[in-house]
Amino acid sequence: MGNNNQTQKEKQYQSLEKKYETKRPVLKNCLKAFLVGGLFCLVGQAITYFYIYFFNFTEQTAGNPTVATMVFISMLLTGFGVYDHIGQFAGAGSAVPVTGFGNAVISAAIEHRTEGFVLGVGGNMFKLAGSVILFGVFSAFIVALIKTLLIQWGVI
Amino acid sequence: MLIGKQSWTFPNKPVITATGVSGGPFEAKGKLSKDFDILHEDLWMGQDSYEKAQRVLMEEAAQTALEKANMKKDEVQFLIAGDLINQITPTTFSAKTLEMPYVGIFGACSTSMEGLALASFIVNYQGANYILTGSSSHNAANEKQFRYPTEYGGQKPPTAQWSVTGAGAALVKANQNEKGVPVTTSATIGKVVDLGLTDPFNMGGAMAPAAADTIVAHFKDLKLEPSYYDLIITGDLAKIGRDVTYELLQKEGLQIEREKFQDCGLMIYNDDQPVQAGASGAGCSAAVVYGHILNQMKQGVYKRILVVATGALLSPLTYQQKESIPCIAHAVSIEMV
Amino acid sequence: MKNARLLIALLTLVLVGGCNNDGPKESGMALIQTTNPSAVTLNKHTREESDLIEAIETDIEGFKELYDVAVVKGKKDILVAYKVKHLQRFRMKQIEKKVVKHLEDKYPNENFTVSSDYKIFLEAVELEKNMKNPNYSPKKAEDKLQEIIKLQKELT
Repeated sequence: MGNNNQTQKEKQYQSLEKKYETKRPVLKNCLKAFLVGGLFCLVGQAITYFYIYFFNFTEQTAGNPTVATMVFISMLLTGFGVYDHIGQFAGAGSAVPVTGFGNAVISAAIEHRTEGFVLGVGGNMFKLAGSVILFGVFSAFIVALIKTLLIQWGVI
Repeated sequence: MLIGKQSWTFPNKPVITATGVSGGPFEAKGKLSKDFDILHEDLWMGQDSYEKAQRVLMEEAAQTALEKANMKKDEVQFLIAGDLINQITPTTFSAKTLEMPYVGIFGACSTSMEGLALASFIVNYQGANYILTGSSSHNAANEKQFRYPTEYGGQKPPTAQWSVTGAGAALVKANQNEKGVPVTTSATIGKVVDLGLTDPFNMGGAMAPAAADTIVAHFKDLKLEPSYYDLIITGDLAKIGRDVTYELLQKEGLQIEREKFQDCGLMIYNDDQPVQAGASGAGCSAAVVYGHILNQMKQGVYKRILVVATGALLSPLTYQQKESIPCIAHAVSIEMV
Repeated sequence: MKNARLLIALLTLVLVGGCNNDGPKESGMALIQTTNPSAVTLNKHTREESDLIEAIETDIEGFKELYDVAVVKGKKDILVAYKVKHLQRFRMKQIEKKVVKHLEDKYPNENFTVSSDYKIFLEAVELEKNMKNPNYSPKKAEDKLQEIIKLQKELT
């Protein structure tokens, strides 16, 4: 509340504070995110080929086991305390791919292990990833609904 | 005795007779590792939760202070301590172990000086002969309380600060004409200052006005010049907060030499440790002041110092409700006599 | 801790490597290299038949977006698998439509299955290799072809 009408003093101070604030190195971060994110995708592609090659998956169907494997790997990395260091270095590069989702789930699960399995792990596991699932499913539903309606009406 | 608007002087000069400082593995790699009495190799400290580990830190710091003073715990009248975790429970549990009459205080990262000011005041007026005061924080417990899970791979901005795993405890006793000991001479209680900053990843910037406010009030109340002190040391303003506070003080007309204006959050870790802007946490100022700074005072490096511990009084709830960060700072002056 | 990490990494490698045995061996490099397999028929080895599939193969190879074409003709079905040049992969769907249209216009009496999927291509190449083995029965070959077509139809 009350944040909307800031006093003159607050504005003055905030502009003074801005002067000293260390800026995020946006360009450098973007580059790092691009490279590390690309590296993750390279691994993902290799796993996709692995599934196409040795199992009965086509390019169409290999996506599912690949995602599962990538999440599994990120869970291992999280458990061994490596993923948060990668995250600090790569930023969006490691947060945006599906591995970031795995990390969000398992890090919360590890964090609340001390509160027991039901209220701790079970209750808090999706405290970060839960909203991703909720809004992901919801927006997918809306998009599918629009597409269905458009097809029904013969627009597309 | 009240002096000026919001300060106390302690004419009977209560003595900080012994201190105990404990820390974790990350602090052991820092610049001040020699000044810790107890350093743990394991972040869990043999406990099954980080909150319990923080309890251990506090207990050990208190025990060390008692051992150094050759005292038993039932000789201490009061324990004044606090921390940052859920209703200061880690401190409460250590108070249970220590079996002392207990005053729990909350001042976020300013708890250390809030406790020292209160302890000095009570001791100065014969409210007690011995008071143990201190504060503690644990990196992983703090992260869990205020930020993301420890292993979450989010990128912290360069303004973020690293919570110290550590505790500091000081035993304050009534002065019996002792010489060559550190004593507390005055204290200034700060007021809550909030200039509308909302970013919990930039605590230093939010706390700077509170620190400046308290420092200005201190010199005004006591009618002193900044040159009176050999060192003015802030709690955990870190890189950004220190620079901002320095400029605010200059604007107020306080001329302080830059190297006499230091910050605990910038002293505890090595430059190559990945702590972004610097250190923070209730244990930060306690560990640095009760360890490193008092050691240096005893070695004669400083004769008179002013410690200004700063605290951001936010909770995860107020942050999520988009409230700004209310901040506070308390100052205590420590002198060698 | 260091050792534990190493152990896990090794274990993962062994687990992953363990699945190596039952993979296709001869056609193995088809995923990466250009193989240019010859067109094959599974049943009748008449002049007419081989002329037809040769013609189809030449036709498809004419598309400049593609490289590496495999054509397999069974009793009724003709399987056409190809690889799309990397930068053209964004337009994969359009290319497929174009190929299907071209084939159906030119050979209206045949029943085509067209795919740009690596897996389908891989299997087609393997089938072609197997056909060189005189012990490989036409019945088995036809079954295999039907299996590939089924795989192609499978989604997600």
